[in-house]
Amino acid sequence: MNKKQSTKGQDLHRLKAALDLYDNAPCGSICFHNDGLIFDINNTLAVWLGFTKEEIINKRTLPSLFKIGGQIFFETHFFPLIKLQGFIKEVYFDVVRKDKSVLHGLINVREIPAQDDAPLTYQATVLDMSDRWHFEAELLKAKQQAESDSKAKADFLSTISHEIRTPLNAILGIGNLLHKTPLNKNQKDYARLLLHSSEHLLSLVNNLLDLSKIEARKFELEHVDFDVFDLSKILEQTFSVRAKEKGIEMRVDLDTDVPRYLIGDPVKLNQILTNLVGNAIKFTKIGSVTLSISVAKMSKQEVYLDFKVADTGIGIPSEKLESIFQEFSQASYDVNVEFGGTGLGLTISKKLLELHGSKLSVSSKLNVGSKFKFRICYKKSDKVLAKKDLSILESEKHDFGDLMVLLVDDNPANIFIAEQYLEQWNISYLSAESGKKALSMITKHKVDLILLDLQMPKMDGYETAKNIRDLKLNMKPVIIAFSASTKGEVNEQLMEAGIDDHLPKPFQPKQLYEILLRHQNVNPQSQGQLSSIPKKSLKKSMKKSNPKLNTPKVSFKLDRYIKMANNKPEYLKKFKLSTLDALISYQKDYNKAIVKNDIKMISDLIHKSTMSLYYIEADPLTELLMESRSMLQAENKDESLLNDKVTECNKEFIIIINGLTEKD
Amino acid sequence: MKNSDSNIEKLFNIKILGSGTQPVLFAHGYGCDQNMWRFVYPHFEENYKIILFDYIGAGKSDLSAYSKTKYDSLQGYADDIIKICAHLNLKDAIFVGHSVSSMIGVLAINKEPSLFSKMVLIGPSPRYINDKDYKGGFEESDIQELLHTLDSNYLGWSKAMAPVIMGNEDRPELGEELSNSFCTTDPEIAKNFARVTFLSDNRKDLKLLDVPCLILQCRKDIIAPLEVGQYTAKSIKNSSLKILEATGHCPNLSAPQETSEAIKEFLQT
Repeated sequence: MNKKQSTKGQDLHRLKAALDLYDNAPCGSICFHNDGLIFDINNTLAVWLGFTKEEIINKRTLPSLFKIGGQIFFETHFFPLIKLQGFIKEVYFDVVRKDKSVLHGLINVREIPAQDDAPLTYQATVLDMSDRWHFEAELLKAKQQAESDSKAKADFLSTISHEIRTPLNAILGIGNLLHKTPLNKNQKDYARLLLHSSEHLLSLVNNLLDLSKIEARKFELEHVDFDVFDLSKILEQTFSVRAKEKGIEMRVDLDTDVPRYLIGDPVKLNQILTNLVGNAIKFTKIGSVTLSISVAKMSKQEVYLDFKVADTGIGIPSEKLESIFQEFSQASYDVNVEFGGTGLGLTISKKLLELHGSKLSVSSKLNVGSKFKFRICYKKSDKVLAKKDLSILESEKHDFGDLMVLLVDDNPANIFIAEQYLEQWNISYLSAESGKKALSMITKHKVDLILLDLQMPKMDGYETAKNIRDLKLNMKPVIIAFSASTKGEVNEQLMEAGIDDHLPKPFQPKQLYEILLRHQNVNPQSQGQLSSIPKKSLKKSMKKSNPKLNTPKVSFKLDRYIKMANNKPEYLKKFKLSTLDALISYQKDYNKAIVKNDIKMISDLIHKSTMSLYYIEADPLTELLMESRSMLQAENKDESLLNDKVTECNKEFIIIINGLTEKD
Repeated sequence: MKNSDSNIEKLFNIKILGSGTQPVLFAHGYGCDQNMWRFVYPHFEENYKIILFDYIGAGKSDLSAYSKTKYDSLQGYADDIIKICAHLNLKDAIFVGHSVSSMIGVLAINKEPSLFSKMVLIGPSPRYINDKDYKGGFEESDIQELLHTLDSNYLGWSKAMAPVIMGNEDRPELGEELSNSFCTTDPEIAKNFARVTFLSDNRKDLKLLDVPCLILQCRKDIIAPLEVGQYTAKSIKNSSLKILEATGHCPNLSAPQETSEAIKEFLQT
């Protein structure tokens, strides 16, 4: 009897403990009917919410404790889900306390099926997740902040890079032009230094842009046919010059079984290899750098190529092998001091390989050398691609025949530079400083190819191109866009605007040459019979100057000097005097060249005088000089026409010389 | 157009059940999918041909077919109803729509009058936001709060939705693989649908309706309060309003028996 009683006592005790636990558990508990009406709430939750149990029980429904958004959510999502699956876990609700403040609650609900007389009910536990909620909110805020910072950084980087690329185009262009003029040894060294430095700066800016694009995931792989033989050949040619300068050997081993024509992204492959080979040469003082390409495995459609760049350079200490792939990281500070560079090349290469689903691996021994390896799978192409005629590219001696190019750029420096290149290659051209001018020129003259700047005020390049296409010309000119953006970014827009190709600014003259070569024959009608005539005919030269003669031009202007002098009359005077001296000597040279019938001499004069004539905007004289040269070059020279030209040219010289002496 | 037809059933996860010939199209509401009808459609299997589907973005529909522009208004969803009916050759069907589907059905028949011969609208609301004398039950800021709740439940939702391997001892009919696969909606789509639903105004469209309509109204429905049900009934010429014993917004889940009987009664008249 006693025993039984004590068991009963124990049971009672347990029940009391259980009830106590239920009431004062560290989490809230709530029981409700099918219609949401609450029939029980534990002490904990009542205290959390600031209600007495009596204010809740049989008076409130569960959703009525939520904020309005939560109520809709309860009705449309939460309730259907409990009904369908019988439970629901960890859904977040703002629970409203009596004082209208909010408890951040995480709610679990369980359905308790109907049994005998008892109807179906629900039991919910409520966890106070205010801490977690605050952490989450903080984390979310930090994440959003970090993302927006990173985006702002990338945008900034991209804007600044673009801004830098535009003037860099001019520096690089002038450097190239300067390099080709007759210079003394010192000047040649300066010019080379200028050129090298601007090329270096360009590669730095390009790397930064690439990196920001990779980070912004704006990079995509292209799938185009390419010739891997050509690609390695060009790499070899490019780098053997640099290797020779350093007294090391540059070798390219291309396995005989490597298929020549592939489908993939040649630009990115070239970028990776350029980075790796460039680095190898940079860090090698004696010995050699070898690029080898071999077949790892091959099927009918695909080939896995192994690329290896090995050098006999300074090597990388083993503890640094990992960190060299990080942005702005080089093996040591001293390395940077001695070898320069940004340390971005490897990071970019690594990321470009990740795009290919590949990995860059490195092995290295200090003072023995390094080996960089990667493997890429390419589809094989059955197209035979036209081999790039490297000799033409090398010599820049292709005859473009009758090709007429229209330059459109709002920046006179850029027009000037492009004009100089076209002059060198004996290509006829017109120029327009705005899209509107370009449009009117196109309707008046036959134009085969348009070099179009994308970023122009008022009518930009895209709009200009669209307008040109809308003219529905019989002979559709090829449109090539210039821009400080790289192609990937603008590709779609380009296609939409009817632009055929794209040349990123700044460009090397070779790139412009190559793109002109590529497109000169696209329009068969525009080739015309004249292309069979080897030298420029007089008629053609006249045609070239026609558009400019149509609009009477002032012989020269001082605007540029005035601007440069920046309100300092003594500077303006100096500029004028030095130009005056130069022009007097140019006139002498000119007449000498004509008498001696010396084409080289007149070419030198044209080069020599470019900058002076550019500054004083003596376009008519510039044209006359060039026309004189063309006449000298012409096979069937017409002496009387030449004499007229010489007279005209001398007249122009005198107008300017007098003008410079008088004008104040 | 023809080539996409074969995909329509996959696109909308269409299920055809029942042994009758008179088609009944059950259209689910905001927040869930065709599972909403799980306890209702069995009542109609014997005498009707039952068509269940998921709207694009809901349930097992083809999420890739979702387009923010197309589904920027309820008309986009209504056009899908028309498409489904055309594909199944449905004419003079019975439309049963829950919640926002009521208005989607109204837009569909207004565009294509031969679609339905009768309509059942469960918890309809032509406009959720109060407007001068019209009491929809919500302020625009409430809807912003809902969107916020949806946002804060990304984490919670994914947990609630994560497939939990557990036996459904209480509901063996569901089977293990079904647990937690109900009412899954892509969070972004759920937000867009919420916006389109709760900011819509279809009061004008009710007036164009001309087929017999049953409006099923729950007691204590905060989404579609009684006043809104009465307004809807008054606006539709040929309609009757039935107030159910059930509470809340989903009588098809909380009181399937009562809901089914009310529908049957209406169909038999």
